[in-house]
Amino acid sequence: MRDVKIVAPIARHRGAARMVQLFSPMADTWLRLFLIGGLSLAGGGTVAVVGFARSAYMTDTDVRPRQPVPFSHRHHAGELGIDCRYCHSNVEVGPSAGLPPTETCMTCHSEIWTNAKMLEPVRQSLANNTPIQWTRVAKLPDYVFFRHDIHIAKGVGCEACHGRIDQMALTYRAKAFTMEFCIDCHRDPAPHLRPPDHITDMAWKPTSDARKEGEEIAAHEGIRFGELTHCYVCHR
Amino acid sequence: MRRRIDHQSMDRPRVWAGVEELSDDPRFQAFIEAEYPAVQEFSKTARREFLKLMGASFALAGLTGCEKSSFVAALPYVDQPASETIGLPRYYATAVSLDGYAQPVIATTYGGRPTKLDGNPGHPTTLGRSDIFMQSAVLQLYDPDRAAAPMRRGEPVSWADVESAIGLMRENWLADQGEGVRLLLGPTTSPTLLRQIAAFLKQFSKARVHLHSTAGLDARRQITAASYGQPLDQHYVLANCDVVVSLDDDFLGPGPDQVRNALGWSQSRRRYSDRPGNRLFMAESVPSATGALAVHRLIADARRMPALAEALADAVGVAGASRPELTDAEGRWIARAAAACKERPGRSLIVSGLSGGAAAGLWVARINQQIGNAGQTLKLTAPISGPENAGTLAELVSDINSGRVDSLVIFDGNPAYGAPGELGVGEAITRVRSSIHLGLQRDETGALCEWQLPLAHALESWSDARAVDGIATILQPVISPFYDVRTAHQIAGMLLGEVDPAADAAVRETWRASFGDAFDTRWKQALHDGFVEGAEPSITASPASNIIAPPGTTGDLDIVFRPDPTVWDGQFANIGWLQELPKTLTTVTWSNVVAVSPALAKRLAASNGDHVEVKIGERRVSGPVWIMPGQADNTVALFLGYGRTRAGRVGNDLGYNAYHVQASADPWLARGSLRKLDTSEDLAVTQLHHRLEGFDLAREVSPGQAERAPSDQASLYAPWPSSKNAWGMVIDLDSCIGCNACVAACTAENNVPVVGADQVRVGREMHWLRIARYYTGDIAEPRSFFEPVPCMHCEDAPCEMGCPVHATTHSPEGVNQMVYNRCIGTRTCSSYCPYKVRRFNFFDYRAPGDSSEHAAHNPDVTVRSRGVMEKCTYCTQRIEAAHVAADKENRPLRDGEVITACQQACPTKAIVFGDINDPNSEVSRLKRSSRHYVLLEELGTRPRTTYLARWRDDDDAESRQG
Repeated sequence: MRDVKIVAPIARHRGAARMVQLFSPMADTWLRLFLIGGLSLAGGGTVAVVGFARSAYMTDTDVRPRQPVPFSHRHHAGELGIDCRYCHSNVEVGPSAGLPPTETCMTCHSEIWTNAKMLEPVRQSLANNTPIQWTRVAKLPDYVFFRHDIHIAKGVGCEACHGRIDQMALTYRAKAFTMEFCIDCHRDPAPHLRPPDHITDMAWKPTSDARKEGEEIAAHEGIRFGELTHCYVCHR
Repeated sequence: MRRRIDHQSMDRPRVWAGVEELSDDPRFQAFIEAEYPAVQEFSKTARREFLKLMGASFALAGLTGCEKSSFVAALPYVDQPASETIGLPRYYATAVSLDGYAQPVIATTYGGRPTKLDGNPGHPTTLGRSDIFMQSAVLQLYDPDRAAAPMRRGEPVSWADVESAIGLMRENWLADQGEGVRLLLGPTTSPTLLRQIAAFLKQFSKARVHLHSTAGLDARRQITAASYGQPLDQHYVLANCDVVVSLDDDFLGPGPDQVRNALGWSQSRRRYSDRPGNRLFMAESVPSATGALAVHRLIADARRMPALAEALADAVGVAGASRPELTDAEGRWIARAAAACKERPGRSLIVSGLSGGAAAGLWVARINQQIGNAGQTLKLTAPISGPENAGTLAELVSDINSGRVDSLVIFDGNPAYGAPGELGVGEAITRVRSSIHLGLQRDETGALCEWQLPLAHALESWSDARAVDGIATILQPVISPFYDVRTAHQIAGMLLGEVDPAADAAVRETWRASFGDAFDTRWKQALHDGFVEGAEPSITASPASNIIAPPGTTGDLDIVFRPDPTVWDGQFANIGWLQELPKTLTTVTWSNVVAVSPALAKRLAASNGDHVEVKIGERRVSGPVWIMPGQADNTVALFLGYGRTRAGRVGNDLGYNAYHVQASADPWLARGSLRKLDTSEDLAVTQLHHRLEGFDLAREVSPGQAERAPSDQASLYAPWPSSKNAWGMVIDLDSCIGCNACVAACTAENNVPVVGADQVRVGREMHWLRIARYYTGDIAEPRSFFEPVPCMHCEDAPCEMGCPVHATTHSPEGVNQMVYNRCIGTRTCSSYCPYKVRRFNFFDYRAPGDSSEHAAHNPDVTVRSRGVMEKCTYCTQRIEAAHVAADKENRPLRDGEVITACQQACPTKAIVFGDINDPNSEVSRLKRSSRHYVLLEELGTRPRTTYLARWRDDDDAESRQG
């Protein structure tokens, strides 16, 4: 250490007389403001982006797309009490619930409201043997391989994903079909399960202890806890 | 830093995959060490440029993640079929055909469109096994280059026009009883078509039928005709064989009988658990799949086969045989083979191929008779073919040229392309006044004919056909034709004077006669089962006693012709799946080659891909040379099926046309010469792609060898915690015949894209499963190994550690999962993978949205886009479907409930998949075998896919010493 020459401090001292102040007195404050601003912008941006991604706009909840026939689930399922499976007959056996073929509509509408203007597209469909062009409301991305049948079989009610369909005059997407929505239940299915005889029951409410009841159902149904969250369950 | 392990120093035979490797060329070393060779070609600045450009793309790509899912249309049925469950497959039993023989299939259809064909498990002949042609037939159905409507001289016409034209022709024919009318038939076994042809000949008694086959069916019958005095079909009962001796007969190679032979072979091979159940002696001129499995493989030029047959006949004591002059190696081989055969009378089988001709065939027939194999391991049946007095193609051409033919109907054949060039069939066809061509495509022949009538694909047709053993299948359509096409039976009906015949009318009529009163029930039963009981009865025939002299031995080189291993005689040239399958032994894709021996290549100073000109008589053809290790020195092999000009967008202008130099008198063996040209090409070969860094990759064990101690590799990691099921796979290398059926099945099941020759050249083929082919020993006389390599599903998977975004993860059941929608394409996983099983989508290989190939996709598997990694998933869609089925019934999965596509296809049942947590499952049982081993076990990756070593027969070791 003793070998070190003490030239440098002197030189700096000599130059100091001419040296201009590099940083203004406000510099520190600016820096702090910049850091706070930057961080809050980044944080706020993240919140905004995530919030936007989850917004009703992005998830298309509450949108009632135009349909060729203004079909009312409230009237058919709610007021008339037609069971979901009367029209969506594929739901217990196949991956897709299935939209009713025109023939199904005509089982009743060849008898009642036979001349209603509203039902013209249905009659045209039958007459021309062309499908009714509905707009799909509940849609998952292409890379999700969802199966209705297994959910129905294991005690997930229609209402769990589709909401109170029986109260919808025009059908809309009640729940945001985000991955979070799916995986919440796949991580912890118990509170979302219901007895098999209430699968299509829109108004069903769990008893006071939903978890305990759900666990009993899960045990009975042999739900493979812990195995439902791996990727290949839904993505292939 | 990657390092090559010096095999020489390790007291093991050097394992090599290609001849380039033996030269230790540094350029080649650089090529094989590159993960993806093409990326190496970027210069440094190009890389910087690339990153700059990609930076912008990445920024924009981020935004696509925010895309809003749009509302799309949903179209229900108007009147839904009662049996339809939307989204679940339905299965139909039917058949496709190869060389006229039925290949019984179960077609999987989704929403009315077939997506996958598999063998029919109930069928007594194939027991549900498949081959590459069966697997790929579904893509042929959706081929956009198929003929879509009838044409007359290239102008579209309607079927009504066709019917009225045929009506006019019939009037002319009736005037002279069909003098000048000729029908040209390809190989067919269809009872209905044969009945219709017979009816036609009854109507027009002077008309004549000519038969033509491209892949050697005629030649085989000519050989049996010469050796037994009558044309016969031979059936090998390999399941009962202890010893098989083959003289250049690739009976495990591709062809209509491959599945049955492979099944029988593997049954006898697996008869004992502690030793191989049979021994195979093979003398061959050109290496084949069968030769690769032989214990004693003798390399002999094609012209030696008759002499070898006679020598063997002499050694087993056939009267009239005398010992020809043999080389030392030949003498030793004959002595061993004869001793083995004599030891197992009635349980051995001697077979010979086309290159030995009738001379070898006759000796072989007598040997089988002498040692009691006839009727035991060799069954004979009367051939199923056209009318007895049918002529040949050569006769037809000469009749046309002498002006005796004025109307020609060609039933589903392409003789203008697939016939010996010297016949000049194409030119002859243009001389016929009215010619009608029936075909799936408007091919080389169709283009020359006046009328081009498009045929319905087998999957769209009502028809019938017989399997190799004569068991009939009634073909039912699994989809209604989407083009304006007719079946061959409908067109035959028109020729018979019927008006607009229904698609199923002729087939029903045929079977009404044989089903009798119980028609309705038996018809339904036959459609349901996919076959009608009743194999062709075998007959006894004794070999002729004359002696057939082999053809003269003048000429420079023996030139043998073989159907191509993947596109066969050329009829499958437009099927991308088949073009991209690496051919057994050569691993060449998208082209045929001129296969030569290493010694001949040295004489010519040619290396792989150099063009050579083959001259036979005055006809020449040139193609790329391929140095085939283990080929006989003076034999050259030409492969048929390439050089097509009207196959379609996929198959046009690939390779060379070997038919051009084929001789009409002796199409399968010729003498000729070879000349090296100055040009060369870069073949799309896969043999050096996806190389493993390690040793002892494809293992062998001797029956006496001490049982391998169970592996107890210490690991710092805990064993993978398993849920109820733990999936695993065992691949038996002793049973693998390298046939590629598994690869084709995987391609069909998992929507694996076809990338094309250019991409294959740079190592970007997408197959999830490859058949690695290794050689050991000397280049002149190597041993060959086949090793199917799918994803190993390592419990400690290096790829999972490499992924920056957790796009590849591990399931509780032990499956290494690949999540496409999370993958950002860094390819780190691929470079971490020691087994090289991951494939990257360098481009968007998807077909355009409106193309018909889309309909062939499996809807249960994502169609991957550009920039994502993919790999074998253990057919996770099948696992999940089985889980759903079991969970709905609230029961555990049963062993065998999940079958992977490769396992389902394998003709030898070499691939077994199942739950390794269940000690009684088939896969667990095999994992306890003494032959069990783990690929690259020293890496500690603990793969779930493991192997059974190939048997090294005891006297194999002895032969190597001697």
